[in-house]
Amino acid sequence: MWAFSGKIAVAGIGYSALTRRAERPLAALAVDAVDAALADAGITRKQLDGLSTSPGMPRYGGAKGSVEGIDVVNPWYLSELLGTHHHLAWTGSTNAMVTQGFMEAAMAIASGVCTHVIVYRALHVPPGSYVNYESQYASGQEQFMAPYGFSGPPSWAATIVRRYFEKFGYSRKDFARYIVDNRANTQANPNGFWRGKPIVEDDYINARMIADPMSILDCDIPVDGCAALLLTSTERARDLKQKPALITGFAAGTHPAPYGIPMTLEDLWTGAEQVAERLWAATGLGPKDMDVGQLYDGFAPFVYIWLEGLGIVPKGEGLAFLRDGEGSLTGKFPLNTGGGALGEGRLHGMTQLAESVIQVTDRGGARQVAGASRSIATISNGLTKSTAFVISRDSC
Amino acid sequence: MESGQDAAVLRPLPLADEASAGFWDAARDGRLAIQRCATCRRWNHAPSLACPGCGSLDLGYEDVSGKGTLFSWTIIQEAPAPGFRDRLPLIVGIVELAEQPHLLLAANLLEIAPEDLRLGMALEVVFEAVTADVTLPQFRPVKG
Repeated sequence: MWAFSGKIAVAGIGYSALTRRAERPLAALAVDAVDAALADAGITRKQLDGLSTSPGMPRYGGAKGSVEGIDVVNPWYLSELLGTHHHLAWTGSTNAMVTQGFMEAAMAIASGVCTHVIVYRALHVPPGSYVNYESQYASGQEQFMAPYGFSGPPSWAATIVRRYFEKFGYSRKDFARYIVDNRANTQANPNGFWRGKPIVEDDYINARMIADPMSILDCDIPVDGCAALLLTSTERARDLKQKPALITGFAAGTHPAPYGIPMTLEDLWTGAEQVAERLWAATGLGPKDMDVGQLYDGFAPFVYIWLEGLGIVPKGEGLAFLRDGEGSLTGKFPLNTGGGALGEGRLHGMTQLAESVIQVTDRGGARQVAGASRSIATISNGLTKSTAFVISRDSC
Repeated sequence: MESGQDAAVLRPLPLADEASAGFWDAARDGRLAIQRCATCRRWNHAPSLACPGCGSLDLGYEDVSGKGTLFSWTIIQEAPAPGFRDRLPLIVGIVELAEQPHLLLAANLLEIAPEDLRLGMALEVVFEAVTADVTLPQFRPVKG
């Protein structure tokens, strides 16, 4: 149990509009999200003294580089746009997922370096197909994948799902309930990209296949947009506008995949188990203490792998749990209560953190799980650079 | 488009480096060679600058049997690069090589239909010359 468990809190949430192709540049959307988070908490830009993100633009063999303000928004640049560069005490920029930046922000506050830190993630949808290997050559790890047409992350996830299906006797049909209910959760999320567009099981069964068994509806929707969270001390947060959501603990994973293959089912389990062990050690809690789960769904099948890796259900039973509706809003363990990244849009884990905050502060509206006291958020696929968080109600 | 040079240049070609040259050189000769640690004798793929098992920098290449089993697969339905548009659906298999558990390699599976794929089925290496300089190790079912 660390010394600052429960002493740092999320005090504000801010979103820009999330659209497929924004008319305004990414930097403007980042400013929108930061201002919204500050306003949510009731503080000003002048009080902000830290900014943290992961600015990277995921590209696979893309020919064009990344342009500041258009494709990426680095914290030093955002700081200039906000006019905060004269008084910021720290900026953080990780090459892992942004949720590592969230951990760093909490530590910056715990150490006294900063008082109010914004963690943000701005993501841009490049023109054309999101995954299109335009380069003629493949180097590094890609030289063993791209020449075989194995360069798209959905195809990597597909090999996880195929092995899982074959080992345990499932098919895509078993996942339809989760996908449909997840989309229903999205209808109550004002930020949700797919709000206003519910689906039925046949939509999932007949969805356009990318890399069988991964269809378009198994993948989160890439958006132009930004989400921001304001972190401060719990003590300070109690004086701000919103109820604080306490950071009870977090953990990061370091288990790698075999180098020649981006991921395997067995390595995802091992990685998720490692993250879970570290999270339970950090918090003194266990799976039974969690009321809701915000489990990473950049590729939706990761949800059942996380369920198993976290020890919520035994291996091989995660998909049955979802098939039976136990992860739905009315189930035993409501998951991705705001629709996850699948429904809200691709924000690389900010969705899972923001929704955790929403649930433990009773801000969920029609998707609120009554009395939810603790939310677990997991980000990425369980392998190295994955993270997990327990976010708790102030009374806990 | 016929296979051959025109199609080939649209498929991403492997760019060999200090660690991987032994793999691609062997493939061009029609051999499957995998990096192996001289210290702990662990096989290692993809090749790296240090052994992930023991950290040794003393790594070399040794030929392997070219036999393996099917660990998992996907049927690619959307072209991930322009050069794959006339090759759909494309099977990518994860092959577990016979030499060591969890020694995995990605390759296209040839001479088999998607519906005939089975977890654990026996596979063997074949070689596809993509250009004069580049040959890709590929896999097909072991006959009989």
